[in-house]
Amino acid sequence: MLLYILKRVLSAISVVIVTLVASFALFFFAPTDPAGVICGPRCTPERVADIEASLGLDQPKAEQILLYMKGIVVGREYSTGGVVRECAAPCLGYSYTLGQPVTKLIGAALPVTVSIVLGGAVVYLLVGVLAGTIAAQVRGTSLDRFVVGTTLVVQAIPYFVFALLIALYATFLPDSGYHPITENPFLWASGLLAAWLTVGVTNAASYTRYSRASMIEALGQDFVRTATSKGISRRRVVYRHGLRAGLTPVVTIFGIDLAFQLTGAIFTESIFNLPGLGQLALRAFGQYDLPVLMGGVLIGSVLLVVMNLVVDIVYTFLDPRVRLG
Amino acid sequence: MEPLIEEAGLARKGESTDPITAPTGESVKKVDTRRKSPTQIALARLRKDKVAVVCASIFLFFVLVAIFAPLLAKLEGQDPTTLNQNLIDQYGYPTVAPNGEHWFGVEPRLGRDLFARWVYGARPSLIVAGSVTVITTVIGVTIGLVAGFLGGWVDRILSWVIDFVLSLPYLLFAIAVPAALLAVFVGNTENVGNDEVATVRFYSLIIVLSFFGWASLARLIRGEVLGLREREFIAAAKVLGVPTRKVLFKELLPNLVAPIVISVSMALPAYIVTEAGLTYLGVGLTEPTPSWGLTIAAAQNWYRADPLYLWIPVAAITILVLSLSLLGDSIRDAFDPRTRR
Repeated sequence: MLLYILKRVLSAISVVIVTLVASFALFFFAPTDPAGVICGPRCTPERVADIEASLGLDQPKAEQILLYMKGIVVGREYSTGGVVRECAAPCLGYSYTLGQPVTKLIGAALPVTVSIVLGGAVVYLLVGVLAGTIAAQVRGTSLDRFVVGTTLVVQAIPYFVFALLIALYATFLPDSGYHPITENPFLWASGLLAAWLTVGVTNAASYTRYSRASMIEALGQDFVRTATSKGISRRRVVYRHGLRAGLTPVVTIFGIDLAFQLTGAIFTESIFNLPGLGQLALRAFGQYDLPVLMGGVLIGSVLLVVMNLVVDIVYTFLDPRVRLG
Repeated sequence: MEPLIEEAGLARKGESTDPITAPTGESVKKVDTRRKSPTQIALARLRKDKVAVVCASIFLFFVLVAIFAPLLAKLEGQDPTTLNQNLIDQYGYPTVAPNGEHWFGVEPRLGRDLFARWVYGARPSLIVAGSVTVITTVIGVTIGLVAGFLGGWVDRILSWVIDFVLSLPYLLFAIAVPAALLAVFVGNTENVGNDEVATVRFYSLIIVLSFFGWASLARLIRGEVLGLREREFIAAAKVLGVPTRKVLFKELLPNLVAPIVISVSMALPAYIVTEAGLTYLGVGLTEPTPSWGLTIAAAQNWYRADPLYLWIPVAAITILVLSLSLLGDSIRDAFDPRTRR
């Protein structure tokens, strides 16, 4: 058991390191001209050289990677025109265009993305599991066919089109925008409501199908028959006995989904104008702000790897067969 | 295997009775000894599925629109790039409604013909999605076959690469990579023509989507091969001294038709959505390429004044993706009897 977890952790670390080196190579070895971008149109060669020195771009490439890694682990210093700026660990450098530390920008964006994803998850888990469980009980009837047909259609509508139409035409929903929950929880919720409903409705379709399939399987098991024959009410059998067994596979899918949604809320953020991780990356793309792009990709990968690791480890507790494999 | 027998029986019913063996006009049941391959059975099943037939026709319609885009635009007498500034008032609103000359009207602000842009817009969607599907399928199947069949350290390395690709935040990379590729291929972007940028963005989109797309299919195929590898016919081929390449592509591949076809039918609509979505966000294709994603992005600011501008590409992409997805579901049901609803 411990060995299995250790193996998974090592493999996760190796993925993060390779991602770091590969994306660094991709962004910083390309013949981009970050100093020129920072310097702007009225620029002198001396100023370009000065900026390059302050960013460490005059060093050999291999050294730059080591400096970047060192920055993440123990922090590093940037000196601009004689002024030394301390960038504490984990340091991901400074934004070329905003002049702020990348970690600060990502730190501000992450709560937005997490709010969208978690709020949306509450909606689609509630709707999806309930609809799936009901459809499983009435399997084969017209209600069941209606539910399954609806999920097929909802799933097939392109997500960004759906979100865009909600944003444009569902004007009865409160204006969307981000307000920190610590300042005003009511404003926070109302600003995110449209995004939550959009994420919720589209994802509810797939969760309805997952939970329907897994409930049909669970309700066919012997222990359900035993429970029924003991005279327990149908409702109790379904929601206490069946649901507990039926939800295990759904929870696993949810864990993996959640990780992807954290790094993939870009459409929701962009359409509802919420300043999350994806918006940050989009803005950085428009301005060739490589440190921010690099930081976003790196944080996204770490999030994904850690979430997958957690799902795998939790799963070994839920399903002992995994450990043997 | 009951469904197979039932299907084979149904397929036979349509055959005409032989006049010589049935002189009285009574149909004498003739035993059909022809064997049908699983693929033939699945296709017969698919032909009987009304939803599948309708969806396939819709898909075919869009393919024809894409192929004959220049012809259709010529039929209308317009092209997708001419600016009809005379049809635009001083505030940017079009002064003409859809008419015989401009079937879908003209674009606000620039005055380009919307019908021409719509028919040409079908092209990048289908070309990008089609080529990404082909590339990812070829790479995914090959890597999955090799990893699953050879095993050992080859499998360990390839499995690690598959896990690696699957654990990357692919939308973030889809945003970040074109920036880097653009820098590599065209250098400083300030003094480069739009056409050149558009070409690089077109190829970088295909590269990015292909890079992230093959891994899940490779994992699926590897799993299937692990099961098939121990079967007798593979052992027999090995004993006969059939070279590995032949075992992989002549013995194993035909047994993997079902998962591959299912994966392709699911991948195509997914890539159409991804292309349009990324283009909509501004990180996919760029002007002057006519693309539905670009039109939707531009039209969202005019949705009140000119709803048709927004709704035509929205309807096109929704109908195309919807029909392809439903077709994909039917294909999965036809090729995999276990999932029948």
